[in-house]
Amino acid sequence: MTYAVSEMRPAGQSRKKRLTYANVEPWLYLSPAIILLVVVLLVPLIIGISYSFRKFSAFKSVYVGLGQYQAMLSDHVLGQALINTLWWTVASLFFQFFLGLGLALLLDKPFWGRKVVQALVFLPWAVPSFLSGLTWAWLFNPIIGPLPHWLYALGLKAEPTNVLSDPATAMWGPIVANVWFGIPFFAITLLAALKSIPSEMHEAAAIDGASPWQRFTKVTLPFLAPTIAITVMLRTLWIATFADLIFVMTEGGPAGSTNTVPVYIYVSAFKSLDKGYASAVAVLLLVLLIAYAIALIAIRRSLVRHV
Amino acid sequence: MKKLTIMLATVAGLAISAGSALADSTLKMVEVITSPPRTEFLKKQIAEFEAANSGIKVELISLPWGQAFEKFLTMVQAGDTPDVVEMPERWMGLYANNAQLEDLGPYMAKWDDAKTLGDRAKQFGSTVNNTQFMIPYGYYVNALFWNKKLFKEAGLDGPPATLDEFVADSKKISAIPGKYGYCLRGGPGAFNGMHMFMNIAAGKGGYFNEDGTSTINEEGSVKGLQMLADMYKDGLAPKDAVSWGFNETVTGFYSGTCAMLNQDPDALLGIADKMSADDFAVAPLPTGPSGKSYPTLGYAGWAMFANSQHKDDAWKLMATLLSPKDNLAWAKEVGVVPIHNGADQDPHFKTEQFKGWFTELSDSSKYEMVTPPTHLENLGNFVDQVAIKNFQEVLLGQKTAKDVADQWAAFLTKEQQDWLAKNKK
Repeated sequence: MTYAVSEMRPAGQSRKKRLTYANVEPWLYLSPAIILLVVVLLVPLIIGISYSFRKFSAFKSVYVGLGQYQAMLSDHVLGQALINTLWWTVASLFFQFFLGLGLALLLDKPFWGRKVVQALVFLPWAVPSFLSGLTWAWLFNPIIGPLPHWLYALGLKAEPTNVLSDPATAMWGPIVANVWFGIPFFAITLLAALKSIPSEMHEAAAIDGASPWQRFTKVTLPFLAPTIAITVMLRTLWIATFADLIFVMTEGGPAGSTNTVPVYIYVSAFKSLDKGYASAVAVLLLVLLIAYAIALIAIRRSLVRHV
Repeated sequence: MKKLTIMLATVAGLAISAGSALADSTLKMVEVITSPPRTEFLKKQIAEFEAANSGIKVELISLPWGQAFEKFLTMVQAGDTPDVVEMPERWMGLYANNAQLEDLGPYMAKWDDAKTLGDRAKQFGSTVNNTQFMIPYGYYVNALFWNKKLFKEAGLDGPPATLDEFVADSKKISAIPGKYGYCLRGGPGAFNGMHMFMNIAAGKGGYFNEDGTSTINEEGSVKGLQMLADMYKDGLAPKDAVSWGFNETVTGFYSGTCAMLNQDPDALLGIADKMSADDFAVAPLPTGPSGKSYPTLGYAGWAMFANSQHKDDAWKLMATLLSPKDNLAWAKEVGVVPIHNGADQDPHFKTEQFKGWFTELSDSSKYEMVTPPTHLENLGNFVDQVAIKNFQEVLLGQKTAKDVADQWAAFLTKEQQDWLAKNKK
């Protein structure tokens, strides 16, 4: 009887043996990845959080406890930056998603020259964001760029001025650039998801007399839903923390109208030289984004269950 | 045979390592105000220096000006300090107050070329603790570029002499469709020009009263700020100008969009390339109600880090770059007013395009140069971030000139009084 043999051994020894072979071995295989994650992710995160309890100037720092967090409560610039970040993220995401989805649906159907169009559509993804920011900023400039003159000719603007220099419209500049830059991401991922839908499903629905709209809402959309949830989540996090385009195009101006939280973190750390305050704001952003991710993952779970 | 090869290889190896030991010092040099032709020119000067000083190698690191402040600071914070650094006036307080710069006084005492060095170079290089922490390589003096063609088109026959004429001329030029009087700078680097007009309107130069209180919110200064806001609101400057920096104002001027631009000589390089010399000139700045004007004088120079391991060689390099010959060539290349006496007699500087700057520099009864308070450690963020954001708010009518000036005065007064308390002898 095998049970009896194992029971005859001293309990401690058997447990020790199990620890050595069964439990430790996988950890050993994982250890390079774990060490890497700890060194490049966890350590900087802990250092970053510890910075948020200090006040920095260029060459010194003092411990201030929760002082930096208290300062955030009465910081109007931060309040405005949070609103701007929300606006920047929601508007960018909305247009990126719907235009990307439209593009994916178009590219899913065969037509002449589709491969060339597909290659061209994905081009913005390959352009460095810094470069696209500069190019868009010049396009919006009425002295050398065509866009203000086109908007004027179409009657959309009373005179050919720069959208970037009016606080009421300035955010649209980086949003337009970001939409152009981000459409390929949704187009690629949604196109891949569309390709994985079995064609029999559509055929069956068509035989049952479903209209194109019904086929889209009852077949395509439910299959896409899990991909949509995860790509929307990823993209939201990326856009919310993406400062390149805004910084290159407006530096947060005019008068702070395009100042988002990541831009503010950058300015606090490298222009005001207060790494502590920048870290505290970064912790706030981290908490908000984690909360958002948890909420979206919960929504995704319920969607998957429904499918 | 095999042994011989090994022996020969060993001897060759030793010879190479001995050779590299002879070239015993490599100087690390950082330039922070960069452009491709300027960096090329500096490299050429460095190559000549290396040829004349065998054994000294110079490793040049060029940081683009846009991110130079944070990049250089990060280098220094990480202990990666250069031997020689290009030092803009506004960074001096930060590094000098933290005891990171070498006192150049003793080196200058033994320097032959110090004889022709203008007094301003000594004065402006030693604003922190009366110690010569840097030697300027040239001055950026503000003067007024004006477009002769546009002035003529508006029925005007010369540049404005007073602030009132400046506004009136701007109005006349702005009446031409698609044209504007003034290339206003509201974005990056806006502070100098804006503060200069505040000083001119106030009839009082500088930043502080003797007791350390700021003059920036005095009645005249606020009027000057309001004047710029009104000009913007009334369409005498392009709407876009609220976020204009150096490139945009210069482009606005040479494209003929706006007719007047206050700028330093470095703007001349780009403008002279794009405009015929007959179509524009540089006049002294308009004067205010007091009959005086207060051009901003900015400068940058070379400084040595106190922890350099090759101080004598670093000084040799600095002394070469700052020699009358090299400095004159440098000043022509980068567009600054040179530092040695007698340079204004050079044919290059005798043209109509340089007249405005030399008039300002030669008439001290009418033109009082204003330099930034470089001794204040927190000046950089104020000038580059806070003041620009607030200025834009005033231009856009979101805040009043008085409110903003009061806010600036509170900051400047506190900084100056702290500094005075710390440096009371």
